Amino acid sequence: MGTLLQQIANGLIFGGLIAMVALGYTMVYGIIQLINFAHGEIFMTGAFGGLAVYSWVLPPAAQQIWYVALPAMLVGGAIVSVVVALLMERFAYRPLRNAPRLAPLITALGVSVFLQELVRIFFPGASSAVPFPNAFITAPLHIGSITIPASGLLMLIVSVVLSIVLETYVNGSRMGRAMRATAQDPDTARLMGINPDRVIVLTFAIGAVLAGVGGVLYGTYIHNVDPYIGFQNGLFAFAAAVLGGIGSIRGAVIGAFVIGLIKNLADIYLPGGTAYDYVWIFILLIAVLVFRPQGLFGEAERVRA
Amino acid sequence: MKAMARPLIIVGSIVVIIGALLPWATFVLNDGPYPDKATLEFFDAPFGLSSFRLYLEILGLAGLVFCFVPLRDKIRVLKAVGWGALGVALINTLFIIGDGGGFGAVTVADGVTAFGGIAAVIGAAVLLYGAFQLPAEPKVVINPKLPFWAEWLILLVAFVALLLLITETLTAGGHSGVSDPYIGPLFLSYLSAAGALLGVLWAVGVTKWISDMSERHRIFSIVVLVACAVAVPFTSLGNDYWMTITANIGVYAATAIGLNIVVGLAGLLDLGYVAFMGIGAFVAANLSGAVAAEFGIRLPFLLAAIVAGIVAGLFGAIVGSPTLRVRGDYLAIVTLAFGEIFVRVSQNNIGGLTGGSNAIPNIPDLSLFGTGFNDSLTIGGVQLPSGVLYYFLIVVLVALVMFVFGNLKNSRIGRAWIAIREDEDVARAMGVKTGKLKILAFMTGATLAGLAGAVFAHKLATASYDSFQFNQSVTLLAAVILGGMGTIPGAVLGAALLFVLPEELRQFSDYRLLFFGLALVVIMRFRPQGLIADRHRRAELADQDVTGESLDDTVIKEPVAVAGAKEAGA
Repeated sequence: MGTLLQQIANGLIFGGLIAMVALGYTMVYGIIQLINFAHGEIFMTGAFGGLAVYSWVLPPAAQQIWYVALPAMLVGGAIVSVVVALLMERFAYRPLRNAPRLAPLITALGVSVFLQELVRIFFPGASSAVPFPNAFITAPLHIGSITIPASGLLMLIVSVVLSIVLETYVNGSRMGRAMRATAQDPDTARLMGINPDRVIVLTFAIGAVLAGVGGVLYGTYIHNVDPYIGFQNGLFAFAAAVLGGIGSIRGAVIGAFVIGLIKNLADIYLPGGTAYDYVWIFILLIAVLVFRPQGLFGEAERVRA
Repeated sequence: MKAMARPLIIVGSIVVIIGALLPWATFVLNDGPYPDKATLEFFDAPFGLSSFRLYLEILGLAGLVFCFVPLRDKIRVLKAVGWGALGVALINTLFIIGDGGGFGAVTVADGVTAFGGIAAVIGAAVLLYGAFQLPAEPKVVINPKLPFWAEWLILLVAFVALLLLITETLTAGGHSGVSDPYIGPLFLSYLSAAGALLGVLWAVGVTKWISDMSERHRIFSIVVLVACAVAVPFTSLGNDYWMTITANIGVYAATAIGLNIVVGLAGLLDLGYVAFMGIGAFVAANLSGAVAAEFGIRLPFLLAAIVAGIVAGLFGAIVGSPTLRVRGDYLAIVTLAFGEIFVRVSQNNIGGLTGGSNAIPNIPDLSLFGTGFNDSLTIGGVQLPSGVLYYFLIVVLVALVMFVFGNLKNSRIGRAWIAIREDEDVARAMGVKTGKLKILAFMTGATLAGLAGAVFAHKLATASYDSFQFNQSVTLLAAVILGGMGTIPGAVLGAALLFVLPEELRQFSDYRLLFFGLALVVIMRFRPQGLIADRHRRAELADQDVTGESLDDTVIKEPVAVAGAKEAGA
């Protein structure tokens, strides 16, 4: 029983992480129907941005005080992510706005490989895993029989809070309405006085903020980062977005928690254990795509003229 | 500026010629194989080191001559010359700056002046700018038909020239992978010059003419091409090192052609394709009688390869079956997920079939009449390098795959695939059985990859999950896209480029994937149809008509632009 609860707690924490990445996937797809493969790399650059702020910007005294260091790293990571995402949108995706759908997907793959290699080659020491400082309360929490690292709990809380804020923003604000309008029909939205380019840029930026924050919190939780964390976690996040119904914010978050729980429960209860947990997630992904392509909360795909 | 075009080209060409004659470096490049001679001044350095000067001289003279000679498409000819010269000049200038430590190396240092590099770069840039300013002229299509023996002769010469060009390209700047600090810039200089040559030939219509001729004499061309491929071990590539490299290129080219069926013809993006190659490799390894294999049986290679192809094909059908319900991006994700599952499962040595992280080592060498495929061979007194039999085997494999691809493309099935790629709903409305055909595309592609994998496992004598990771899938996809989707020469060219360049540019090997990523982005942006474009694909992706002429050009066109007109009207 203790093990089960512990795995559920771990699963929820991992789900919280995946949710922050999955939201970026789902929003970008919702607006421009692009699977932004490079979104995982935005998450990765966010983690490295936070690390860079810690190592080279913060004075040694501030490094020890978590309520100074962590916010600075979060802001730094988010800024790096946003800059990378906007450059990517401007120079890689925007010129292909009207190209056949295969073209931006391949571009996204290219951007993904490019960013991975850029960090691996030019970030000092990043050719192997780089230790990440634990810039939060180090003492773990004990609740009954289970143990949760404080940074894990923080990740879960931040993720849930940000998701709720985002949902409210998209459903309630003026800009959120513009986003939903653009997602439904960019041409009509333009006729209504919305600038689709601005909406798309904003979407990328919001996704990048979430991914950057996620990246820094991931580093704080796992204690080391490497240039390939984006690919792996990006795949999980994508699976979560598809599971929940791509384009749906609530769906992505729920999908992320389902993925997190499955991964951690598979480690213990499914044949193969930890070596096969990836396999189960991908099998689930394929099954969802085949039997319910619109996901749990998505609408059935409309054929556009 | 239109009136200035010609003077600019003349000035640029002259500056390039003069730049090539000036000294280039203010220091002695003495860490290489030519310690006392490598001054880079005039032509006193060995040819291997100063060949770039020759290229620049020729390109500069070409600029001058082409400026006055009437030509079919002067703008493109001069652009090709300009880009080539700029490439050669920039590569060598940057190399000297990087190697010599700063701009002093190409300007003035210690009382020595060396402005050759900077002059050549400026000259080439002026030449290129002039070419862009040239006024557009009406184009004439040259396509003379000659008696068949004359055409045969021309084709023969063209293919032999191609073979020589390829061997020269591969060995440019050094042989057999000997480490030479100058090999990178030498190779790139050669590539720029050769690119300029091909660009000029293309612009004046020679390549089109030759490809039309080879289309008319298909059988003859194929025979000559196969003969050329068989002749490779007898050229300067006939050593152990290049036999291994060319065999690897061959395996990846065969796989890329298989992928081309799925992506290029049927338009289904497959991001886990290399898994089928892996399945073929593991099946062949298990049936090879290797000690580490799960089954202790040893089938003849041919039988094992066929079994490998069939098993891979079955998996292809399984992976392809979601295509019945899933489309586009989602399908790409299903294949990606499958590829990842394959890697995980083989890494964990499922059922003892894959050897896990130990791989399946020591796969026995193939042998024919008692001669091992890895032994060297003597034919008619000529000593051929070891591994030459594998090379021949892979030539056969590539020929087989090309044969399958070529026939399928021009068959009812191939046309149906292209229809599905263009518009699935319309294809279905026209009576194409889309579901069956999509699965068939996956199956065919997977079978070919499985065959290639079986050869690959024997060639390497080991089968490891590490050779079949996601990066390999991306590389293969990049090969197909770079070369041109839906064409055979495109896939071969793409595979050759992507697997040869890292060999030649070993000093930059750390940046290999970085350039891959960048190249994918740049190609999709500027030339989405690839280097050698399929006619229909070209019409669809770039605003060009089926004859390959750009619709943007303000030139007189023949009214054949059926596919292009649709695109232009959209």
